[in-house]
Amino acid sequence: MAVQYDLEGQKRVYERWAPIYDKVYNKLLSDAHRRTALGAAAAGPDILEVGVGTGLVLRYYPAHCRVVGVDLSEHMLRKAQEKAAGMRQVVGLASMDACRLGFPDGRFDAVAVPFVITLVPDPEGALDECVRVLRPGGEIVISSKLSGDAGPVARVEEAVAPLMKRVGWSSAFKISRVEAWARRRGDIDVLEVAPLFPAGFFKLMRLKKRT
Amino acid sequence: MSQDTPMDTPTDAAPRVDPKLLELLVCPLTKGPLVYDAAAQELVSRQAKLAYPIRGGIPIMLPEEARPLTD
Repeated sequence: MAVQYDLEGQKRVYERWAPIYDKVYNKLLSDAHRRTALGAAAAGPDILEVGVGTGLVLRYYPAHCRVVGVDLSEHMLRKAQEKAAGMRQVVGLASMDACRLGFPDGRFDAVAVPFVITLVPDPEGALDECVRVLRPGGEIVISSKLSGDAGPVARVEEAVAPLMKRVGWSSAFKISRVEAWARRRGDIDVLEVAPLFPAGFFKLMRLKKRT
Repeated sequence: MSQDTPMDTPTDAAPRVDPKLLELLVCPLTKGPLVYDAAAQELVSRQAKLAYPIRGGIPIMLPEEARPLTD
């Protein structure tokens, strides 16, 4: 293990962008956030959100859920903490590396991965950790800019490109890469790949851990 | 999760970590148990010989941020 990457560099970028991040991000992605949260909640009440960031998704989890949010950036988590104050569905927040989660095996019904898979230097390593902490029959819900298409999608892509580049997700993440990972593991079924507003630019992917 | 100090030890006005969160956490390196030190606001992994800090109610479960234990 011990994949070396630029954690410090990533932290500095998030620090600089945390104040304005919410404003732009919020409008663009609220539909995707809501559907990610509800998708995870459909698998059960015990939910881990990997890449909770400033906590934009937290409000969309139903009140009966027990959500734990983790993120690499402590600065982002401070903002999430402000938002989460008074939210019954949020158990707590912790700073963690997605590839080294501090949770026992099989603890969660669902792992939500909103808009972070393209940021992680070792996506397969992070997904392996997600599977580890998931109970058999549990689900991983990934929302992201999955695979670049042509047409209207490309135009939206162009419009938000400067922001995307700055926050570090300029490159599209290939659905086929996740599918290949799932095949290699042999204990994961791809349930669904659904387009999200706007115009399928973002996609939601549901994976199930076999029982 | 075990503890060697009571959870309700009063400290400052900073947000406190939820005991329900502490019950969930294990060492990110060894996946072994953690001991909660409420006074020091640390989560101690004896196996990894690391003490993970809790800052403002947020456990920082990053080995590079942890205090190495010398014993």
